[in-house]
Amino acid sequence: MSMFKKILIANRGEIAVRIIRTCREMGIQTVAVYSKVDKAAAHVLEADEAVVLGEPEPSASYLNIERIIAAATRTSAEAIHPGYGFLAENSEFAECCETSGITFIGPPSSVLRDLGNKTMARRTMESADVPLIPGMLEASHDIARLCQEAAQIGFPLMVKAVAGGGGKGMRIVFHPEALEESCISAMSEAEKAFGDDSLYLEKHIESPRHVEFQMLADHHGNVVHLFERECSIQRRYQKIIEETPSPAMTPALRNEMAEVAVSAIKASGYINAGTVEFLLDHSGRFYFLEVNARLQVEHPITELTTGIDCVRQQLEIAAGNPLTFTQEDIAQRGHAIECRIYAEDPEANFFPSPGTVSLYREPCGPGIRNDSGIYEGCEVPMEYDPILSKLIVTAQTREATRRRMLRALTTYVILGIRTTIPFLIDVLSSEEFAKGHTHTGFLDRHFKNWSQGKADEDVARIAYVIEEIVSRGRPSTVVSKKGFPTPWETLGEWRI
Amino acid sequence: MKYRLKIAEDIVDVDVSHSDNEHAVQAILEGKEYHVHYQSVVNGCFHLVMDGKSIDVFVATGYQGKYIFVNGQTFFVQDADQLRAPRTRRRGPEEIPGEITPPMPSVVLRIMVKEGERVKRGQGIVVVSAMKMQTTLVAPSDGIITRIHTSIDAKVAPGDILVEIEKEENNNE
Repeated sequence: MSMFKKILIANRGEIAVRIIRTCREMGIQTVAVYSKVDKAAAHVLEADEAVVLGEPEPSASYLNIERIIAAATRTSAEAIHPGYGFLAENSEFAECCETSGITFIGPPSSVLRDLGNKTMARRTMESADVPLIPGMLEASHDIARLCQEAAQIGFPLMVKAVAGGGGKGMRIVFHPEALEESCISAMSEAEKAFGDDSLYLEKHIESPRHVEFQMLADHHGNVVHLFERECSIQRRYQKIIEETPSPAMTPALRNEMAEVAVSAIKASGYINAGTVEFLLDHSGRFYFLEVNARLQVEHPITELTTGIDCVRQQLEIAAGNPLTFTQEDIAQRGHAIECRIYAEDPEANFFPSPGTVSLYREPCGPGIRNDSGIYEGCEVPMEYDPILSKLIVTAQTREATRRRMLRALTTYVILGIRTTIPFLIDVLSSEEFAKGHTHTGFLDRHFKNWSQGKADEDVARIAYVIEEIVSRGRPSTVVSKKGFPTPWETLGEWRI
Repeated sequence: MKYRLKIAEDIVDVDVSHSDNEHAVQAILEGKEYHVHYQSVVNGCFHLVMDGKSIDVFVATGYQGKYIFVNGQTFFVQDADQLRAPRTRRRGPEEIPGEITPPMPSVVLRIMVKEGERVKRGQGIVVVSAMKMQTTLVAPSDGIITRIHTSIDAKVAPGDILVEIEKEENNNE
């Protein structure tokens, strides 16, 4: 069995930290890369070595292929783990690694290229009898052609960019009259985001669940699944809460979907860890959505319920080792939920909230795992994705897990910046979530124009005054007077 | 001692009496009376026993206020008497600021107006970007752009005045 001695992690934040931790357990040396604004970031502090890439903007740092390859060569790293986001699904990057004699920890560049083209992926899946959402198999940027296709597919439908991802270039269209306008704006967005304005159309599935299967495939033809994850709680096409098992799953449906997921992986020639995503409708019909050709953000819920370290498996597979277990060896136990903690203000339309983390306390206790990229005193820069950490909990049943997550969230202190924690608490507390009635339209339906509850405002105001008293050192009894008592007059010594 | 403490837009009178050695306060807020014992655990962390119920609260000082964590929620609490007095030009609930300022630290991507230009309420003025998300800051009222204080790629923060707009009196509300 061979294994790398040293790898480079081409990412930042919680995922870079998480990868470094498994490397340390496996005795693999780690090289972090960072931009100038990240020189004291958690992933830099955690790695054995660190190489500066350049200015904060992603094109000069975490998206700069040339500099990352040079950093790997200079530090004699044998392999590069791309994490998620940034260059993780960039076939050009994977190819540069391959030609530089560096192992890319992920699928082959040719597979990344083919899966990145969404209509080519649809054709591959169709030939493997994977059920597709009814729609186009060839992309087009000819509006007349798109309108013709739309008439056949019917409304409502989805307009999608062939090079798409992250909701960019994606539109839902309810009426034929709105189609042309939507296509034009989607094209311009897709051109800007991906340099390719080709679109394709798919039938719109009403309030589906998002269900995906974690897959592992080695170089020796072995393919296994690590069961499903449900990721229906989404905002702006971004998942924010994930769980496993899916509350909608039955053993028969799970077997059927897993079998299809294995065919999808085999048909695309996939190697390493990947995820096959499906939409599951009300009647129990499921449709292929896409293959995510990387380690997923939400992989820890699978780790907690199967006991399998996904990053360790990625490294073993990339090093050419065969899987050491078969499908029959893998079992799922208990339930797990993940909440993504973002630096966003949930009361201000989720506007990003970068800044300094002035106070930080992580939740702890039975069944709690916190994959974090921040620490007390650190700066959260404005240049990158707002994910701060992922809180993952596990327990025997879904309800016990939900309650454990609430306990964890209500003791997770991040001050100095705004986070989504108060919003997550309300979602987890809701009756609809508790019942498992989740679908991709859940937040729009139940949590539009959310604002934080006011019940604890009195406590907060009293705490304000107590902090003043304590920070003043020796308190003195102050006579209050009517009118406008300013603290400057009444409190004596003051601390800023 | 008396405070006027503001959370979001709500200002509440807080009347607190405190006895020196007991680590206890009595507080009256909008007619409600609370008896609170407190312990300062470590810097920023306080253990309160409030009418028999125990609560851990965390406090961090921010710009013109304190962030206070209670049961998973964070409140930004400000002393209304210490805040900069609002502009005297116009007061009251209908006051509409004549300035464009970013809600969060961000970078200016686009400026969509010129000085002297007449704008409509809701019209996009400046596009800023933070953490991969773009936001358009819009005109709060009909008016005329009097000054532009920013430029493309400038790093800006809340409170920075990016654009000044002189409100047109007769056109709106």
